[in-house]
Amino acid sequence: MSATILHAEAGASDEARATGKSAGRRFATLVVRLGAIAAFAAIMAYFVVFAPGFTSTFNLINVVEQSAILGVLAYGMTSVIIGGGSDVTEGGIDLSIAANMGLCAAVYATLLSMGYGDFLSVLAAITVGMAVGALNALAVVGLGILPLLATLAVLNVAAGMELTLTQNTVVGASSPLLAFLVSGSFLGISALAWALIVFSATIIAIIHGTAFGLRLYAVGGHPEAARAAGLSVPFYVSFTYVLSGFCAAVASILTVSRLSASTPGSGELLLSVLAAALLGTVFSRRFVPTMGGTLLSVLFIGLLANGFQLLNVSSYWVNGVQGALILLVVAITSFARGSESSR
Amino acid sequence: MTRTMKGMVKALALGLAAACGVAVVSGATAEELSLKGKRIGVSAIGTDHYWDLMAFRGIQDRVKELGGEVIALDAGRKDQQQIAQLQTLIAQKPDAIIEQLGNLEVLNPWLQKIRDAGIPLFTVDTATPHAINNTTSNNYNIGAEIALQMVADMGGKGNVLVFNGFYSVPVCKIRYDQLKYVLTSFPDVKIVEPELRDVIPNTVQSAYSNVTDMLTKSPEKGSIGAVWACWDVPQIGATQAVEAAGRNEVKTYGIDGSPEVIKMVMDPKSSAGAVAAQQPYEIGKTSVDNTARYLAGQKVAPFTFVPAVLINKVNAAEKGKPFLDAAEKGGVK
Repeated sequence: MSATILHAEAGASDEARATGKSAGRRFATLVVRLGAIAAFAAIMAYFVVFAPGFTSTFNLINVVEQSAILGVLAYGMTSVIIGGGSDVTEGGIDLSIAANMGLCAAVYATLLSMGYGDFLSVLAAITVGMAVGALNALAVVGLGILPLLATLAVLNVAAGMELTLTQNTVVGASSPLLAFLVSGSFLGISALAWALIVFSATIIAIIHGTAFGLRLYAVGGHPEAARAAGLSVPFYVSFTYVLSGFCAAVASILTVSRLSASTPGSGELLLSVLAAALLGTVFSRRFVPTMGGTLLSVLFIGLLANGFQLLNVSSYWVNGVQGALILLVVAITSFARGSESSR
Repeated sequence: MTRTMKGMVKALALGLAAACGVAVVSGATAEELSLKGKRIGVSAIGTDHYWDLMAFRGIQDRVKELGGEVIALDAGRKDQQQIAQLQTLIAQKPDAIIEQLGNLEVLNPWLQKIRDAGIPLFTVDTATPHAINNTTSNNYNIGAEIALQMVADMGGKGNVLVFNGFYSVPVCKIRYDQLKYVLTSFPDVKIVEPELRDVIPNTVQSAYSNVTDMLTKSPEKGSIGAVWACWDVPQIGATQAVEAAGRNEVKTYGIDGSPEVIKMVMDPKSSAGAVAAQQPYEIGKTSVDNTARYLAGQKVAPFTFVPAVLINKVNAAEKGKPFLDAAEKGGVK
């Protein structure tokens, strides 16, 4: 409860000061933010009108399916950024999340191929994922290493362990759970799409619907104030890294189902995960990361690739546009922060 | 001429061409092919390697030449992306899909979905039961020829360093198996255990350090006779490592025919012993021709071989040049 009040007060005083001193700048920020959202909307509108088949239910479900893995990973990243603060150099970040997914996928697929059932294999994957998350927490909270460096080191540990386990090869896997994820469907929506829907609903409820979530924002936004209010900052920050590891493990099971195997190169996803978490801030009024914003940006990234393909625009453009959008959002975010800190 | 006779003549011509080692431009048959009004989806796992890029271009150029529309998708070596692209491609319902390389284990369920959706599937260098036709080089021949060349250069005895990181890629499996088969007749040629692992990316650097390490481990001249890889990018690193170590008695062997490797083989001072040069651009084009034939209602064989040429130290000057010219024409040097 105290966190709620603290958070609300902090927000109120922010606004009071902002309206007093830099209303103009604030207005400019708002315009830029709405401009960015308008750009997103314009791109979507263009696809709706010109990309053949873009709005068909079948296509949209495809995109949700294609976004499931990225979405689950991006939630992990977002929780770390919420709990550790969104300062790009010193705030929370989990660079190991994609490599962790690769490791979990390798563990899961290897155990399945050795004949262990789904239950044990899933349990092992989730344990490994959370253990890697705990390692991050230990490095960041326990040893006080900058998250950027700590998780970079853990990235290498996880990637190295994956290589050791798989010898850089493709490990094929099949199981009842995987078969269900691949071909199951309910109300015309595939199991993989449901996985994203259910996971999204759960994590949005936890982060945005509970006192726990509010405290997490307090810890990330104002650690000193949170500590003064009696919150255990190390606990909350550690929690986000372990949650991130959990997300990596869940994503790994979805990956293995989609690729029928664990394959090398999961680390490649990191950039998209970061993009999704960063782009998501544009959907929040105060440029803070939110789960809903992350979901929107994950879907946006998915729709972008999909729309380009339907328009028969070279896939090479997708990366460029994605990069340009990240640059835009980071620029806007720094601009907005600048207006806050200059007060 | 009946179709079977025509096929026989063509097969004979191809066989003859392969036997003579002449780089024949195939697909230049008299028949009128057309893809007017057709949309062809093309999915490649990546185009970062010379072979992949040339085949990918060959497909696209030929579809356009025949009046068709191409939906070209390069997954940038990301399995996730290739699957997403294939999934969207199925929803786009093109008249046919041509798939080029990738992880078969990952691809097969999705190739099955392409067929389930009633879309004709053709593959380039990817043997799968789901494809109507797979256009490729005769990897059985290539594998045996490069192995025999290596054994001949070694004088029938010595130790070989083998890169075997991609046994899960069907063409590499065939070439490696052929190497092993050839070696059963030459018991004095031994593969050094454990085998080396080639990787993507950083293939050249990794091969360089692997071979350097092995040469350091076996410092006596003659203790290693050759280095073999199922493609030629590791061969680049291996050749550089051998030369840097001053171990010119070691020769390197690979397959594909990237321009830089052909130049190495042409250079009499280089340690690159031989390379089996494929015609990826022709392979891509031929796959499109097969697609056009199929869409025109003709029967298409389950596989088509486009001839490859063994370029060695003896014939390099003569046999290498056409390949370098083709690469230059394609804008790759």
